[in-house]
Amino acid sequence: MGRTQLIAALVLIVAAAGLIAGRVALNDDDAATEAALAGGAETPGAEADAEAEETTTTTTEPIPEPERLGPAEEFAGLDGWLQTDADSLADFDGQVRIVQFWTFACHNCTATIPHLQGIYERHQADGLEIIGVHTPEFDFERDPDAVAAAAVDLGVTWPIALDPNKVSFRQWQPGRRFWPRTFVVDQEGEVRYNHIGEGRYDELEETVAYLIENGPGSTGA
Amino acid sequence: MVALLFEGFEAVWLPCSLVLLVPGLAATIGGRAQPVLALAGFAPSMVLASWVRFSERGGDWPTLVIAAVLAVAAIALALPADRIRQVGSVGGGVLAGGAAAALWEPCVGPEFGLLLNTLPDRGADGLALMAVYGLGLLAPLAAAAAVLKLVPEWMLHYGEAAMNVVGAAALGVMAATVAVGLHDEVIGQLFRWSLG
Repeated sequence: MGRTQLIAALVLIVAAAGLIAGRVALNDDDAATEAALAGGAETPGAEADAEAEETTTTTTEPIPEPERLGPAEEFAGLDGWLQTDADSLADFDGQVRIVQFWTFACHNCTATIPHLQGIYERHQADGLEIIGVHTPEFDFERDPDAVAAAAVDLGVTWPIALDPNKVSFRQWQPGRRFWPRTFVVDQEGEVRYNHIGEGRYDELEETVAYLIENGPGSTGA
Repeated sequence: MVALLFEGFEAVWLPCSLVLLVPGLAATIGGRAQPVLALAGFAPSMVLASWVRFSERGGDWPTLVIAAVLAVAAIALALPADRIRQVGSVGGGVLAGGAAAALWEPCVGPEFGLLLNTLPDRGADGLALMAVYGLGLLAPLAAAAAVLKLVPEWMLHYGEAAMNVVGAAALGVMAATVAVGLHDEVIGQLFRWSLG
């Protein structure tokens, strides 16, 4: 075997190992997607376990005031809502809002749900609302019944705004668009947190807790 | 950095990644028996164009421009003259990589998220980290190129014309679907088929 062929074989082996590992890691998500595609709903299980493992924030240091990132855009191009009677972002004025752009076939989006559920349970009574803006990447994710089934399957209990044509998705993320993307909007409609992808749940919860405890604060200059 | 690489590997299976992998595979297979050259054009171009876009150093490409670039990539792969086949392979890969990056709306895990959140404030190290993620994400293309390199040369030569037609046609179809706005539907159908 020549040198080139040896290198090629090594690349192939490493790539195959990575692919197998990735496939195993994502198997659970495929099952959820298939269930949603079939329109079925299953009892949440793994999500509840993950939620139980989540740790609560026990920071004793004073939390700094979250940065002001500009006024939140009102949603546009929506095709209705699920799990609420509201029909706009403004309907939740006066509450701290987590706005997350997600889609049920996105593994990274569904991985955030147990964490959001934990934050929701701890702060909903104090004035937190979560709005999941369901922005489908593909045609099969546009069916509201599939979204509703996925919500039950994944344990999404908060209001869902349907953004089938990515209008709000593009409006809130000009130029750089990602799944998931999570924002916190304060009681007066200003964005106070903006995060791409999974992770940083402690910081998300600290932002929510600060705004609930201290209010949006003065807009200053 | 290893976690970022591994997350790139994991992202291979995300439907969001098909928009990169389909044209990458088309360029690699269609690269006129030069799969490594085609990949050597595609991968750096994809990483660089993604970095420019995600670090806010460049904006969105108009849809018709993306379609036109994909069409030119298909033509470059299909260039008939033997003496410019290498240029066609590399050029087709570069164009397909740029267009794929322009279409890419990634699903983002924790490690890639850490990078993307800080990318506008990073310098060249941001580009290097994008390359690490891309190395994992584009592993299937490296595997495809490696498989093609392991195939005996006479056999590869025998099937070159067919592979070239398949690769160029795939990019051509992708250009057409992007131009008419059906691209998401086609990729979505591919994803559904992948679920069986």
